[in-house]
Amino acid sequence: MKYKVLIGILGMDQHEVGSVIIAKMLRDAGFEVIYIGRFNTPSSVLRSAIAEDVDVIGLSCHSWEYLHFVPGLIEQLQKEAADIGLVVGGSVITPKDGQSLLKMGVDAVFGPDSTSDVIIERMTAICSRRGQMD
Amino acid sequence: MGSSRSGIPLQDFYNYDDVQNDFVKNIPKPGEYPFTRGHRSKAQPVGAWIHRELSGEGGPVKSNEQLKYLIEQGQKGIDVIGDAATQGWMDPDHPLVVHSVGTQGVSACCRDDYLKLYKDIPLDAISISTSLPPLFSLVGLVHAANEANVPIEKLRGSLIQAPLYTEDCGYACNLPIELRIRLATDTMEFCTLHMPKYHSYLEDTYFFSESGLVTAVEEIALGFVQIRLLVREMLKRGHDIDSFAPRIAILVNCGMDFFEEIAKIRATRHLFARLMKEEFGAKDSRSLSVVIACHTSGISLTAQQPVNNIIRGSIQALALVLSGVHAIEISAFDEAYRTPSPESHMVGLRTQQVIELETGVTKVLDPLGGSYYLENLTKNLEEKIWEMVEEIEDKGDPAVLSENGFFKGIFQNAMERYSNQIKSGDLSVVGLNVLQIPPEEDTLLKEVSEQKIEPYYERIKEIEEMKNSRNKNNLKKALRKLYTHAQSPDANLVAATIEAMAANATAGEITGTLRMAYGGPYDYHGLVKPPVEGVDK
Repeated sequence: MKYKVLIGILGMDQHEVGSVIIAKMLRDAGFEVIYIGRFNTPSSVLRSAIAEDVDVIGLSCHSWEYLHFVPGLIEQLQKEAADIGLVVGGSVITPKDGQSLLKMGVDAVFGPDSTSDVIIERMTAICSRRGQMD
Repeated sequence: MGSSRSGIPLQDFYNYDDVQNDFVKNIPKPGEYPFTRGHRSKAQPVGAWIHRELSGEGGPVKSNEQLKYLIEQGQKGIDVIGDAATQGWMDPDHPLVVHSVGTQGVSACCRDDYLKLYKDIPLDAISISTSLPPLFSLVGLVHAANEANVPIEKLRGSLIQAPLYTEDCGYACNLPIELRIRLATDTMEFCTLHMPKYHSYLEDTYFFSESGLVTAVEEIALGFVQIRLLVREMLKRGHDIDSFAPRIAILVNCGMDFFEEIAKIRATRHLFARLMKEEFGAKDSRSLSVVIACHTSGISLTAQQPVNNIIRGSIQALALVLSGVHAIEISAFDEAYRTPSPESHMVGLRTQQVIELETGVTKVLDPLGGSYYLENLTKNLEEKIWEMVEEIEDKGDPAVLSENGFFKGIFQNAMERYSNQIKSGDLSVVGLNVLQIPPEEDTLLKEVSEQKIEPYYERIKEIEEMKNSRNKNNLKKALRKLYTHAQSPDANLVAATIEAMAANATAGEITGTLRMAYGGPYDYHGLVKPPVEGVDK
């Protein structure tokens, strides 16, 4: 069975380069990618993720808006008791902010220096863990 | 044997045989048609180009302070960038934009904002460029000039027009292509009639080459496709080519391929001159010699070892000065994370001033002209660029191509190509895929680069209050007029927009009204309603 990933961008962040490249890379690696593009809120991301029954949500972050949106999304995921992974990637995430995201409950953080092998390996591990948590 | 970033094969060296026969004797002089070597015939050691650094942060008052500071430091022009909502033709009180207000540029959406933004700026002496939606940038400036009693015919600066590419790169406005082309032509027409010193059409190849990661050939070819489209629109309206062509300028990118970037600028000048003369029949020499401004590439900068970005900016700026461009903005060393900090503004400005005042490279025009290599590369680029322009136009109407995602495909291919080049090491970026250092050692300038600007949440309330305190009847009348003008294809929408802004209508409200007039929803995201009912009835 193919692992299913949702890729999206939050708020007014319009830098789409990273998300397009990652979506393509994951498709080439055998993932099923649901690409929701720009202009999302935590609620719209969650709605699509549940409707599509994805294994993991991938957020592309190239503006600081993610700092304010991600905690809300984590809260909503917990409230819905949704068994969906959450990873965040992007050039504006500093090492320090990355650490605090991981503490908050994000499953993985990727930066401009993350290689595609590392990204694919981590995404596979997060997806395969799904359903085994209870 | 290597190749340029655009894929032009390079020889080990170049010689007499590599340029046209008699070329060295017959090379046209600077200031002469076809203007490959620039429009000037006299060298201008100091003041040859306008120094600009990108500014705008928080609200209009704070940004105004930033602008005044940069002018005090010797800047002759300003370049105002809007925050995400402003660039997306939306208001700060839209629910989607809340965490982005004022962080990546200035939040400006109404008449009062523009009056504050340009307060005490000598509008008749400083050239005003913006990265703002052209309609609001123009109308806001007109209101500010009226307030300051500066006749609008004295205004200088430029408006970015990008109807073909704006939805795919940078900030989408979610307006239909016909309306985007009409607004570009309406603003150009207004400036042609009322603002003779102002560049009403800045062809900005920078922004799409940055977000689309295209090569020099693709960048300039796409630029010419749009130039030809908008020139034809103006001619269709009966404007003489020489009445508006002198007010077209081009804003190009400058990446790290030193000689290719210089050759690109020279090739662009040559192609523009030939296009205007041979195809559009322009006679005025100002129509033929295009003004070129440049931003150094932000995407070439790295989050790793930010101090290296200062070196990149200096090399790119030197390439630009050697090309003889009219205005330069150096992308800041903290670009990978944020809009420029005061520290990086100063570094950018001083880089330009060191080149201008200390190196002597401005004493001679087109100092690299006649180089076998550079002239060969310039000619090669010209051929490749024009081939691509023709290929694209053979595929059909660019407006239709834009709607069908053709350009988006070009940008996506380019992004993928770039990502593969970084991954394979075909393209070396110091600190990113070669010569990396561990994060704990990467500290120089790191702290200032990573400083964040908090969203300007108070601004949301400020705009809500302004909206609540307006005269609703005046607002309705103005928006209603705008709506009916938009439905009549012969009306120029600038006048009605000036009136709407005078009635305190905001950018988001004007955009929503125009979108409705073209059969779309008031709010593309379906989250806000029109400020008054009955605008569309």
